[in-house]
Amino acid sequence: MVQTTRRRLASIGAAILASPAFVRGARAADAVRIGAIYPLSGATASAGTALRNALEVALDIVNNPHPDLAKLPLAAGSGLPGLGGSKVEIIFSDHQGNPATAQSQAVRLISQERVAALTGCYQSSATLTASAAAERYNIPFVAGEASAPSLTTRGYKWFFRTTPIGTHFGVAYADFLGLAKQNGIPVNTVAVVNENTEYGTSVSEAIIKAMQEKGLKISLHIPYSANSSDVSAQVLQLKDTKPDAVVFVSYTSDSILYMKTMHNLAYKPPVLIGDDSGFSDASFIEAVGDLAEGCINRSSWDIGKPGSVTSIVNEMFKKRAGHDMDDTSARGLQGFLVLCDAINRAGSTDKQKVQAALQATDLKADQLMIGYDGVKFGADGQNERAATLLVQLHDKNYITVWPEQAAAQPVKLPFQGWSN
Amino acid sequence: MILLQVVVSGLLMGSVYALFSSGLTLVWGMMNVINFAHGDFVMLAMYVAFFAFTLAGLGPVAFVPLAAALLFVLGVAVYMLLIRHVMRGPMLAQILGTFGLALLLRYAAFWAFSANFVTLPDTLVGGTLVLGGLRLEAARLVGGLTALLLTIGMHLMLTRTSLGSRLLAVAEDRQAAMLMGIRPDRMQALAWGLAAASTGIAGALIALFFYVSPTVGENLALIAFVVVCLGGFGSVPGALLAGLAVGVIEALSAFWAGAVYKDVMVYALFLLVLWFRPQGLLGKA
Amino acid sequence: MKRTVAGLVILLLVLLLPLAVQNEFYQRIGALVLLAAISASAWNLIGGYAGQVSVGHAVYFGMGAYSALLVYTRLGWPPIAGAPLGVAVSLLLAALIGTPTFRLRGHYFSMATIAAAELIRILVSNWELLGAAVGLMGPAMPRSVADLSFTTPLPYYYLFAGVLAVLLGLTWWMQRSRMGYWLRAINGGDRAARSLGVPVLRYKLYALLLSAGFTALAGTLYAVMIGFADPESVLGILVSVKMLIMAALGGAGTLFGPLLGAAILVPLEEATNAIFGGSGTGITYVIYGAIILLIARFQPEGLLALPARLRAWRGRRRARAADAARPLPSATAAPDAENA
Repeated sequence: MVQTTRRRLASIGAAILASPAFVRGARAADAVRIGAIYPLSGATASAGTALRNALEVALDIVNNPHPDLAKLPLAAGSGLPGLGGSKVEIIFSDHQGNPATAQSQAVRLISQERVAALTGCYQSSATLTASAAAERYNIPFVAGEASAPSLTTRGYKWFFRTTPIGTHFGVAYADFLGLAKQNGIPVNTVAVVNENTEYGTSVSEAIIKAMQEKGLKISLHIPYSANSSDVSAQVLQLKDTKPDAVVFVSYTSDSILYMKTMHNLAYKPPVLIGDDSGFSDASFIEAVGDLAEGCINRSSWDIGKPGSVTSIVNEMFKKRAGHDMDDTSARGLQGFLVLCDAINRAGSTDKQKVQAALQATDLKADQLMIGYDGVKFGADGQNERAATLLVQLHDKNYITVWPEQAAAQPVKLPFQGWSN
Repeated sequence: MILLQVVVSGLLMGSVYALFSSGLTLVWGMMNVINFAHGDFVMLAMYVAFFAFTLAGLGPVAFVPLAAALLFVLGVAVYMLLIRHVMRGPMLAQILGTFGLALLLRYAAFWAFSANFVTLPDTLVGGTLVLGGLRLEAARLVGGLTALLLTIGMHLMLTRTSLGSRLLAVAEDRQAAMLMGIRPDRMQALAWGLAAASTGIAGALIALFFYVSPTVGENLALIAFVVVCLGGFGSVPGALLAGLAVGVIEALSAFWAGAVYKDVMVYALFLLVLWFRPQGLLGKA
Repeated sequence: MKRTVAGLVILLLVLLLPLAVQNEFYQRIGALVLLAAISASAWNLIGGYAGQVSVGHAVYFGMGAYSALLVYTRLGWPPIAGAPLGVAVSLLLAALIGTPTFRLRGHYFSMATIAAAELIRILVSNWELLGAAVGLMGPAMPRSVADLSFTTPLPYYYLFAGVLAVLLGLTWWMQRSRMGYWLRAINGGDRAARSLGVPVLRYKLYALLLSAGFTALAGTLYAVMIGFADPESVLGILVSVKMLIMAALGGAGTLFGPLLGAAILVPLEEATNAIFGGSGTGITYVIYGAIILLIARFQPEGLLALPARLRAWRGRRRARAADAARPLPSATAAPDAENA
């Protein structure tokens, strides 16, 4: 009896060791393999899953012909023409929100799965550690979503970031608030409410700095613990101080809680800005969209008119995810397309050539599916042409309202909020 | 006036804390077992409420008792399959047992329900009551008052009914209770069932005004422990007082010291109580 | 004698393993196993031998990690130079936390350790000097060998093996010494130990200090290898729980239990993540939770105690069989002949 148990254990062990995770088996010839590390489980899994859907849409765009998306590089044909039509393959990996796991997964993807490049990781902490591994192994890493400034101050040569970061957002908000004056809403004091994990802290710091440089006074700064059960105290503080504008830097659950609490305590700031993340999430719009009518948000992504490139891409995403694409997923999608374009121009998966191709990237605004002014990386790896738009929530849809030349309709102030 | 509002909000939240902590204190007092999965029981109850509404259109009057009943069964099952055995073992096993259960429940919830936040619509128990200068969210008011009544009800049950005295007898002296013809095993299973049922009600009530996601259990569990320690193990009135106190302290420290320090205040208070009066406010030494 | 030989064999295996397994990824897993074994074995000193189940050991681990990255960020030193600072701060914290909490029994003590660790985690998350919620980063690129920023896992593997060997050697010596004897007495019950004349509080504290120091060292080594620390990843409750679980899985209070636990759980986590990870269902921790439950329910002494338990079970079976096979006493035989 012990014999059979031993044999059974041995066969299970062999099955595990033989699984694709551990063994490099036969692969599709010439496929270009890219590793993608995202939080596919844990508290931020919904963002990670949305990003996975977005990347699969990008894969579809690159690998299959899409004549209606012809202005996007690599969309018209199949695969990468620079590599003889090779298809691209993505190996997804879950870092569970843990930076150490992100690093381990990066090492696994590089050494076991032999990927040509990496992308990811949504959270800045995970992106930090995963890209550190990539740097040690000299593997190109393109980050499409993480916004912590520290990612591009490390002097890395293999790290590239396409998305705008905290400093961009701060400047955008500050400029916008200057504009609010022209709409009859004088804004002199601003309150910043941020959740105190890495996202909220780094973005709020950048926002405060930008506001102060523009001569705005920060009348209240409320860092709070994410996932609080009750925020009445904070809203009451706001009600007491009466700032001219409030900026929230929160994840979804907190954003929903704040809107509900503000509604219940009858507090409406003249201008309400919600910094992406929580406010862009589909669950936010569904839960409290009718309470947040007129709130301002930042987004580099705009669905656009039916028939436009962005609208078509949105439809592709909607088919997979069941809801419209949000800003974060769109930025991840664009980052991946930039990476594929670079590999294509490199004409091979050789690390040095891909790195050189990334450094030489020079994309114009009309070659992108997102609202940047283009893609060109500085010496620190940051996209110098990254930009953000400001959108306003109307009838549960975000419409672009700033900068004025990109606006679909003029901004409506003050913040309307709930109607009852 | 704003201060009064803060205190009232704290009291309302506090009575919900009191409700799910009263179940925990009963279990703890009776069996000296920490249930690290307590917060996740509350989380499951919230999902019961959510699905009862979205799949069957049930309202709170229906899904609160439903959650209580389902969680009762879960509590008894956990006792029979796990707790009964680990109780006899080393303390490490007890801690491991409920910790493992907590992990299992939480990540099974991630698997089954995904990490997306879901909320019950505001229309279920919606609106705001304005009393004097105070603005009270109807959902929280209902939740808080129900919790208060039920906690008092549990205390009355324990002290005035024969079932209650049997439960308390087992808590006080297992051997003596056996000699009196009380079956400790049954009483303990019942206690677990009641404790779980109290989380069922609390969770269903919380779902009325709070978002539902697999992660809510972690925070609530720690709060439950603090309330139980503060109130005294085995004392339901203690849990009530302590729950209200913790709710108010949280709200006040958030208002005065800044939101990030509200947890610090609660833990610091907890440690002080453990140091100076380990039996809590109303517990036996 | 048999135990010493077994110990040496294990040591040899650990040292020679990387030569047999040339794959870098597996070597990295090996290094991670050894690192986990260091913290689990450190926990074992107070949690296993002395029976004081601390669920807040992450605080010492975190201090070690932060100290390393702090001396790098603020002073420009190689992170490993932060080890003495990490150990010193952890010893101080251990004394501060241990003295009041050791008066508490059983579950109260565990609860208190959780509260203390969470308190510190929140304070650190809001302290700018320590990077607040954003955390601290290590050297982006190694400036010298002293930075210990290797591209291959092999040096880390041997470094961790060395530290583990020192820790296990210390544990082995301790368990045979008077301190070990007294800790076992304390494990059996405070009052009983005191009645035997054991200075309970003092020795609990000694065990905790030793444990905290080595846990801090593990934290420093973690920071050196991973190059990043933030409150969630080095001070979170999951860190404490994992140490505890690895020690318990292998056998708390045994010398090699924590290493066995680490050797099972770390690769298991990697494997489940690799196999199921892409699907994003969080199965890894469902499996973790299930394993912990099963251990708690069926084998709380840990896996190392399993052979002994099987032997005892087999022994009882044999005895029962022998009893059944024994012929019944006949009416005519002398009664005494049947009684052994």
